[in-house]
Amino acid sequence: MSIFHKIAKRATAVALGAGLMVGAAHAADKKDIVLGGSIPLTGVFAFAGVGIHAGIQDAVKITNDNGGIEGHKLVYVPEDTAYKVDASVAAFNKITSQHDVNLYYGDSTAFSKTIAPELDRSGKMLMAGASFASELDDPKKYPNIFIPGPSYTDMVGILLEYIAKEKPGAKVGFVHSDTEFGRDPVEGAKASAKALGLDMNLVISTAPGGVDVSTEVLKMRRARPDFVIFHGYVLAPIPEFITQARSMGLKTKFMGTFWSMDNSMVGKMGDVADGFMGVMPYNYYYTTADNAPMLDKIRSMRNTYQSNAYMQGFFSTMMMAEAARNTVKAGKELNGANLKAGLQAIKDFDTGGVIGVPVSVKGNSVPVGRVYQYDAAKKQMVAASDWINLD
Amino acid sequence: MDWLFFSEIGLAGVGSGGLYALTGLALVLIYKATRVVNMAIGEILMFGAYVFMGFSAGLALPMWAAIPLAILVTGLMGGVIERLIIRPMLGESAISIFMVTIGLGSVLVGLVEIIWGANPQRLVEFMPSDPIFIGEAYLSSKVGYAFAIAAVVLGLFLIVFRTWRGGVALRATAGDQAAAYSMGINVPGVFSSVWVITAMISAGAGILVGSIGGISPNMGVYGLSVLVVVIVGGLDSLLGALIAGVLVGIIETYAGAYLGGEYKMLATFCLLVLVLVVRPYGLFGTHEIERL
Repeated sequence: MSIFHKIAKRATAVALGAGLMVGAAHAADKKDIVLGGSIPLTGVFAFAGVGIHAGIQDAVKITNDNGGIEGHKLVYVPEDTAYKVDASVAAFNKITSQHDVNLYYGDSTAFSKTIAPELDRSGKMLMAGASFASELDDPKKYPNIFIPGPSYTDMVGILLEYIAKEKPGAKVGFVHSDTEFGRDPVEGAKASAKALGLDMNLVISTAPGGVDVSTEVLKMRRARPDFVIFHGYVLAPIPEFITQARSMGLKTKFMGTFWSMDNSMVGKMGDVADGFMGVMPYNYYYTTADNAPMLDKIRSMRNTYQSNAYMQGFFSTMMMAEAARNTVKAGKELNGANLKAGLQAIKDFDTGGVIGVPVSVKGNSVPVGRVYQYDAAKKQMVAASDWINLD
Repeated sequence: MDWLFFSEIGLAGVGSGGLYALTGLALVLIYKATRVVNMAIGEILMFGAYVFMGFSAGLALPMWAAIPLAILVTGLMGGVIERLIIRPMLGESAISIFMVTIGLGSVLVGLVEIIWGANPQRLVEFMPSDPIFIGEAYLSSKVGYAFAIAAVVLGLFLIVFRTWRGGVALRATAGDQAAAYSMGINVPGVFSSVWVITAMISAGAGILVGSIGGISPNMGVYGLSVLVVVIVGGLDSLLGALIAGVLVGIIETYAGAYLGGEYKMLATFCLLVLVLVVRPYGLFGTHEIERL
């Protein structure tokens, strides 16, 4: 080997070494992107919080295993809130004081509304959460918040659109809990029903924690709706409503919205679960479809059924990571306004099968969903419609 | 006016009132004997329903075994609570014991979440599902049977506590603890018995309530409505719990039917305020009750 070659070789090695060092230093320079979370791991919403937490953890792991967000590691910092607003705010203060937070997951509508002014003031982060409240679907009023799916009004809109196609002019009942969550889509549902030529001839509000529903079922017997949509419940009192309605000989079809659509929860309804319908923004854990690598990945990571709350947490994280990716790619600073712009730049995003169609952000939400129906023989919610995208 | 609807609502109100009265009985018994307002009554009720689920769905025991076992286990838990937590507190201020029972409620919620998880559940069906018709008026079968069971239990307790030696001991203890001691009544034994019995009643009520509306760790809020019932009826009156339970049940259902579900609680609490203004010791309560 000539001296020239030796020098060239050493120079190349030095250059490569230097390059690697610079690269490593550059990677180390890439700041972590922090996803904080007020997560209800205990308390009345723990049934969902545990799933949400698992969904976020898995989405974060998959993101990091695939090189992070344009080289930035995504770091998840959760705190339990017991589903109490004061505890959620305390968790937010703790996490944001200890970390430079870019993304946040909030556990309730009340928390989202409480913390919104602080998000606007700091201008540092983008927030998603467990809330699908219609009120949050307003980019002007809530510029730093988004809903990881359709709002409650949109969910009911998807169901009404399905009903209008199945039975034009059908009589529709709407049963909701007397809570902020339950009352959310009432006015929107009435307006949508009218626009679709449906007759919403029954609106019933039930007291929170109420046990007996026979009074409400008696009203239903007189109105004899073709469809009844439940909103604001997880399980009770839906099974008792259906049991009593069927014992009176009503042929009504019963439907639910997202939080009453978990497959295992519907299965707990027993015999009356058969035929129960509802709207779900995501595919179920067990959905087998072509081109659904993310569902395959989830199943390879967790070999037992994961709830709809898991899918919600997973999808929320995917969307926040994608918003951050768009922001980094555009060479912009990771702050609330830029992250929101990055979110709104999401067009026809392939979720790998988490949602069965490419999704786009409209306003503050992703107004897409599908109607499912419980098949007691299969013990599964099965698709009853194609994906419905609200304009 | 749809009189059939009106009568059906009335029947539903009486039915749910029976359940209030049964749980109210447990609150009144404890108060009468120990002067403790047990704020954990809703959580004990919830715990009993979960124990029943554990025996019936978890261990797949038949109903004839699962129901008494659940009631016995919850009764035993009531005895343990009294011996380990409440008895050492005797002599402390009423507000201290009151706060302890609030804490106890939280502990029971946590315990249930650890053992059975936080998910809402449905109990195994054990009551006939065919609707009951009284004339042409419909009554939900579960509410009807639950009312019948509650009425029988309440009737038995009213008779037993007027005739049985233990009932007399309880009334004597409630009347004057020092005098009861001097007459040879085992007052601590009465306290333990009352906690056991009331936990058993609560478990029975929990099974009935859970069979209608399902169960979840936050089912204990049912106890709040029951607290209203016993305050309206009089904290130390068994008959008051019975009458106020039915009254609250009827008012709630009529308010729900004619004004809307959002007015149920409003109507109940309006009744509470009205009764407290007119008779601060409740409809049938004793005048000298010390209030918290």
